[in-house]
Amino acid sequence: MLIRIQGGRVVDPTAGRDGVGDVWIEDGRVVAPSERTPDETIDATGCVVMAGGVEVHSHIAGGNVVMSRLLLPDLYVSESAPNGHPFAHAGGSGSWVGANYARMGYTTAVEPALPPSNALATHLELADIPLLDRGGLAVLGNDDHLLQLLRDGEGKAAVRDLVQQTLAHSRGLGVKCINAGGASAFKDGVLKLSLDDEIPCYGLSTRTIMSALLDAVEEIGVPHPLHVHCNNLGLPGADDSLVATLEAAEGRRIHFAHAQFYAYGVADPENPMTGGFRSAAERINAAMEAHPNATYDVGQVVFGQTVTISLDILRQFGGRKGAKPKKWVLSAGDAEGGGVVPFLYRPRGPVSSLQWAIGLELMLLSSNPERTILTTDHPNGGVFTEYPRIIHLLMDAEERAREIATLPAVVGERSGLPKIEREYTLSEIAQLTRSGPAKLLGLTDRGHLREGAKADIAIYRDDRNRTAMFSHAKLVLKDGQRIVEDGEVVAWFSGKTLSLNVEADAGMEKRAESYLQDRFGAGLDTFAVPDAAFPEQTRTFEDVACRA
Amino acid sequence: MAAWVKGGAADVDAAVAAAADLLATARVPVLAGLNADVAALRAAYRLAETLGASLDPVAGPGIYAELGALSAGGAMTTTRAETTARADVVLILGNRPWDGDLIAEIAAAPIRRGRATGSERALLSLGGPQNGAIRHVAYGADEGGLAVSLGHLRAFAKGHLAGEEAFADLARRLFAAQYGVVIYDAEELGEIGVEMLQGLIRDLNESTRFFTLPLADPFQGRATVQLSAWTTGQAPRVGFGRHLPEHDPWRFDSARQIAAGEADAALWLAALPAPRPDWLGTLPTVAIVGEGSTEAAGETAEVVITVGVPGESVGGALWNQRRGVIAYADATSPAEAETAAGVLARIRDRLIEKGVSC
Repeated sequence: MLIRIQGGRVVDPTAGRDGVGDVWIEDGRVVAPSERTPDETIDATGCVVMAGGVEVHSHIAGGNVVMSRLLLPDLYVSESAPNGHPFAHAGGSGSWVGANYARMGYTTAVEPALPPSNALATHLELADIPLLDRGGLAVLGNDDHLLQLLRDGEGKAAVRDLVQQTLAHSRGLGVKCINAGGASAFKDGVLKLSLDDEIPCYGLSTRTIMSALLDAVEEIGVPHPLHVHCNNLGLPGADDSLVATLEAAEGRRIHFAHAQFYAYGVADPENPMTGGFRSAAERINAAMEAHPNATYDVGQVVFGQTVTISLDILRQFGGRKGAKPKKWVLSAGDAEGGGVVPFLYRPRGPVSSLQWAIGLELMLLSSNPERTILTTDHPNGGVFTEYPRIIHLLMDAEERAREIATLPAVVGERSGLPKIEREYTLSEIAQLTRSGPAKLLGLTDRGHLREGAKADIAIYRDDRNRTAMFSHAKLVLKDGQRIVEDGEVVAWFSGKTLSLNVEADAGMEKRAESYLQDRFGAGLDTFAVPDAAFPEQTRTFEDVACRA
Repeated sequence: MAAWVKGGAADVDAAVAAAADLLATARVPVLAGLNADVAALRAAYRLAETLGASLDPVAGPGIYAELGALSAGGAMTTTRAETTARADVVLILGNRPWDGDLIAEIAAAPIRRGRATGSERALLSLGGPQNGAIRHVAYGADEGGLAVSLGHLRAFAKGHLAGEEAFADLARRLFAAQYGVVIYDAEELGEIGVEMLQGLIRDLNESTRFFTLPLADPFQGRATVQLSAWTTGQAPRVGFGRHLPEHDPWRFDSARQIAAGEADAALWLAALPAPRPDWLGTLPTVAIVGEGSTEAAGETAEVVITVGVPGESVGGALWNQRRGVIAYADATSPAEAETAAGVLARIRDRLIEKGVSC
């Protein structure tokens, strides 16, 4: 069916488009303007037309997300469901996740922590998130098998084969390392770890582990660069960790997760751990300018109650005493495990206000929004449904000033936010939420409206109240089908789980089988994610090709 | 494949239709048992939502002891593999952990990972059966039971009690651990006991690393909890009577609901073997049971449909006790069989055709 989206303001920075025009789609793809009479015309007059939003870092599935629901059953509210999808109004459920992303015009979302030891459950959960294409990043960096290989000096080929085998079996879209070596060190009594500190029992460091993974990702040709969660998240001086890690990448492609939590410079050099922090947004952005191989997502903080979820068990253990309410879960798993710590970003509290300001400052100082992805590290900085409000604050300096005026003076004393006058344009918002994340994930078929793109399209009423505009899209198309009209879901179907098309090396498979049998008394079959586990869906997974 | 309607053999289509008819007329139906693979659990949640029914897994008591303590204070846990490879001090609580092969396996394995590598593992027990076959140091429980004993032990560990009692010695051994693990069964320990234990674990972690290894129930309860959480945002038991999922372990206790006369129809799902509920036969019931099980007979319920047994005659995603995760189990003796998920989906489709909605 040929569809013409007519008369909207088409914003596609990848094609230099920002003006009134048409977008044509057919059979789920964007096509060139046609001489044929369209089967359907969508009137987008007075609206903004963008590609569907792409999320790179949101904790939407997996054992720790499940654990957060069990620890805080009252965090989300369930509402009475209208006719339609049975569980979309069940607060915090997978269906709720899919519905709320879709309402905002997002059509793809990636879970950044897919533990290979628990991959099937994570994928079963991802598959139950409707409306979106999904994916997961396989987590490596604390697993004993990898650390053994590195300790024994087995070389790049062995590491590459193990990473490839892990990706193939866990059906990941990319690779992430989370405080590499940190979970292992924590289990051996370490409570603080920096880039070159020794990981007990292995004689390795975060640098050596990460460096090996950076090489492996390049050799395999994973489109998404290694996704890195650095040491010392959230501590004063964490900016040193990020910058040191960036330099340690030595020009190799690297993505930094939730940079806001690392943009904390020491406020009092005499008392680095007790004197608090000040914004290091300028320093982080300067470092990014100097290293074009790197990208980051923000991890913006929003005020209110949330729950932090991380496989960085060293960090989560360190943060346990700040839990609010005072309860938390920490699992020392087969590799990382996970920590779930409830947290309140106190409205107008000095610390949370400064964190809020630093996230915005990072984005507003960025010279290239395509390398600066909007995330809240959901739910760690806050719930993803706050994106429209964040976009509003980026696009409207007056609105920002009004908000800053309600906050403590520390925002001006320890961050540069109040002095920034920049207002994001719609094109820059599209870079921040569409083209940037799609490029970062290596998904060339989305994040733009050029010919051949998937017809994942969001149409918003142009409204100076950007919160309202981006909260409820006027129309959202997924693969060319209407899924949202006037902010409400109108059709339910399942998207695809994107996984990298890699095959495990036969020799490494044999070796992994032997290792796993010895360690677990169970083999690779218990780590597998077979199609047969998804009997209700004809095709759950969609292959993503490696880089040439 | 076999099916029965009111005691007489029927084909599956007729049984599915009869099941839908039975459930469609119910005002307060319950779906109980839930010992099945993940696809079947998923289908059961969808059927319950359509019906406005509640769901109650047979694994309930252990689940609630664990979840109650978890939502009250949290937990610190580890895995079987980490315990076997790393733990230099293992404290076994009560009797149930001694069932099965877990303790023997841990006792036989050397410590080969982590800072305690090469050292001798200390196996300790509290309130256990004094199993002489496995070398360990046994501590007796207080008369008040395991939960009270843990309170007593925690008081020594915190320095609130002093003296040379056995618990003082036990507390010293725990603090000496480099990677300690307490193994327990939540149903045996009870919610208060689990909460006290997790408090002790938090105290120990002020100076060393110590975790718990709770035993999983044998009835897919762990898988049910996960699926329930991602499907409804909440743990079981869950009810859909008011058009939204409500978690309430007391209200949606199927045995209580049936005994109180609240429930007027039930669906018993046991694709894998589960203890037969006392209430079977006391109210109109649909039983979906594994082929070859003792319940696979016409007299079990008004409508009985047999299905493939996941991991035996059909494949399925199941809780893997050894790994402590959901893993796919291929059929060991593949056979042509309806799956529980398929039967549940067909009943739901039939109900939707009939216009049934909660």
